[in-house]
Amino acid sequence: MINLVLILPIIFCVFLFLVKNKTTNNIAIVSYSIIHSILGILYFLKPELIKNTQYFALNSSNIVFYIVLSVVFLAVAFYNIPYSKNMEFDEKRIMRYSIMTLIFVMSMTGGILANNLGLAWIFIEGTTLASAYLIYFNKTKHTIEAAWKYVFICSIGIALAFVGIILLTVSQGNMNTLNYSELYQCAKNFNHFWLNIAFVFILFGMGTKMGLAPVHFWLPDAHAQAPSPISALLSATLLNCAFLVILNVYKVLICADCVSFAKLMLLTMGVLSLFVTSVFLYHTTNYKRMLAYSSIENMGIIALATSLGGGAYFALMIHLIGHSLIKASYFLTAGNILEIFQSKKIKSVRALGHVDKKTSWLWIASCLGICAFPPSILFISEFLIAKEMILQKKYVLCFLFLFLLTIILFAMARVVFAMLFDDKNEERFERAKRNMPKMSGLMYLPQAVLLTLAFVLGLYLPKFLQEIMRNTIVG
Amino acid sequence: MENGFIILFGFTMLYLATTSRLKAHIGTLSVQGFLLFLICSLAFKHTPWYMILFLTLETLVVKAIVIPMFLNKVLKKTHSNRDTDANITHFYCLIISSLILFGGLMLGVVKIPSISMINPICFGIALSTILISLWLITIKHKILSNVIDFIAMENGIFLLSLSVAKEMPLLVNIGVLLDVFIAIYILGLFVSQINKEFCDMEVAHLSDLKDYEYND
Repeated sequence: MINLVLILPIIFCVFLFLVKNKTTNNIAIVSYSIIHSILGILYFLKPELIKNTQYFALNSSNIVFYIVLSVVFLAVAFYNIPYSKNMEFDEKRIMRYSIMTLIFVMSMTGGILANNLGLAWIFIEGTTLASAYLIYFNKTKHTIEAAWKYVFICSIGIALAFVGIILLTVSQGNMNTLNYSELYQCAKNFNHFWLNIAFVFILFGMGTKMGLAPVHFWLPDAHAQAPSPISALLSATLLNCAFLVILNVYKVLICADCVSFAKLMLLTMGVLSLFVTSVFLYHTTNYKRMLAYSSIENMGIIALATSLGGGAYFALMIHLIGHSLIKASYFLTAGNILEIFQSKKIKSVRALGHVDKKTSWLWIASCLGICAFPPSILFISEFLIAKEMILQKKYVLCFLFLFLLTIILFAMARVVFAMLFDDKNEERFERAKRNMPKMSGLMYLPQAVLLTLAFVLGLYLPKFLQEIMRNTIVG
Repeated sequence: MENGFIILFGFTMLYLATTSRLKAHIGTLSVQGFLLFLICSLAFKHTPWYMILFLTLETLVVKAIVIPMFLNKVLKKTHSNRDTDANITHFYCLIISSLILFGGLMLGVVKIPSISMINPICFGIALSTILISLWLITIKHKILSNVIDFIAMENGIFLLSLSVAKEMPLLVNIGVLLDVFIAIYILGLFVSQINKEFCDMEVAHLSDLKDYEYND
């Protein structure tokens, strides 16, 4: 089954290339998303059917990441049906879009399932290859700029991560392995100096892909320029894949008992990400860029929680799940607004509540969710992180964390409410109303499901989910 | 013999830093590729023959022939011959890159006990190559120069992997190949597209997307 999830998209790609039909494109993406989810379900119901291989495994350390990818991909696949129908491009171009989407998801799946650092690196590199085309998909001056920055900055980042992998093998002495479980077992014998340097390179390299400041520059451009379903995938799943690699290497450092320097690095990058977001979010004029900065903020929070350790490990897993669910919904709703108003400019979108009630509810619910308003699941995670800071007597850090979050909340809520309720311009209102026939039920349902999940999990976190979240760090 | 080639590789970075003709830059990449092929064929002594064959052939074909050929094609298409507007003059470029290279060589000469697993000269030159390339990327103005410096950095990373005395797993070599693939296809493809769209190859043109003013 595990091989099937990796081979099937390639078969679908060949099929789509031969058939070149709009309906077949959607069928392939939806079928793959369903099969993708089935593997996740099998992990709980019939684990023996998964059949882990030498290089790929679905285990306690990556199951949360896999489920998040499955759920988000499923939502995006269904949203993509009406979205691709609205695309005014020829069939060949839409076929290329579908093929690249399949390869993109396959690369992310490979990156998550790989139990070897080298292999994970190759798949993360593969995600760059596929997603670069998707960012460039609209073929405008700005998409070229965004895609170029994405490819160039991420390629340098990934190359630096490769230097980190080489240095990790140097730290191993006579050993020679990149297999995670072997790395954890033998970590005690590794040279601490080289291990720390290797982590710095891997953190900066994968941190580039994850969107951590100060190596985040590609992210606002790429997320804002990509088609909305791709922005959702980029933000809700790709950043997690890069984080998984960092987390796995961080676990090697925990096993080697030389984690203090790595903690400092993560803490610095985390706080810097929050600071950068609070500064730029306040001034942004593009609502998709606003969401992109919010992704940088949340990745910063995840890095911060990793550096804190202890109870914050559990909080970081909650935050990761919550951010992915809510941010995917947020980006898909941004896609709705773009379809209706045909502009990404904040000032061009006004009286959204009058134009499309359903989109406006989704927009406000996504905003409240990402701003961690209870009962959003992010409230629990941010509360636990703040609690851990107080328990560790890091009062200044806790104050800074809450202060920056407040600025971000204010900046985001200001924009969202202005878009919903501000004065009604009749001409703009009529123009927006004319685009309403483009909207269909499937452009609301996936976001509603994702948000419901995020809010229900905020009220009730099932025991099995708590257990797999704890095992992700321990496993 | 092997160390001689490695030092020669280091000197190619000085040439890359001090010349503005893009054709000469591409020629330097070709020389680097050939030097890496020679270093690669001398470096491995206890590796199965098929691994050595794969590595050396990959290095020779991809790094010394295919990439320079591809870049030459892009160069002809885009008609950009020189990168004259670098932020720092050639004289200072030479001094700064010489200092970085000297630092790398010193790292190779001064023996640090914890780096017994690696060939020190190779390690030092590789690190200085990566540093010089990264620095060159920041000061150059043409997009194609950035791509060339990026590939020079990839060459430095390849040298770094060769500096590890033990054999690197095959996976890592595939990783290097994939990197090269990105360099050629994506960067090359985008370079042509950028040229078509902006009618120029200046990095400065790629700064339209901003936070403070909306121009999308």
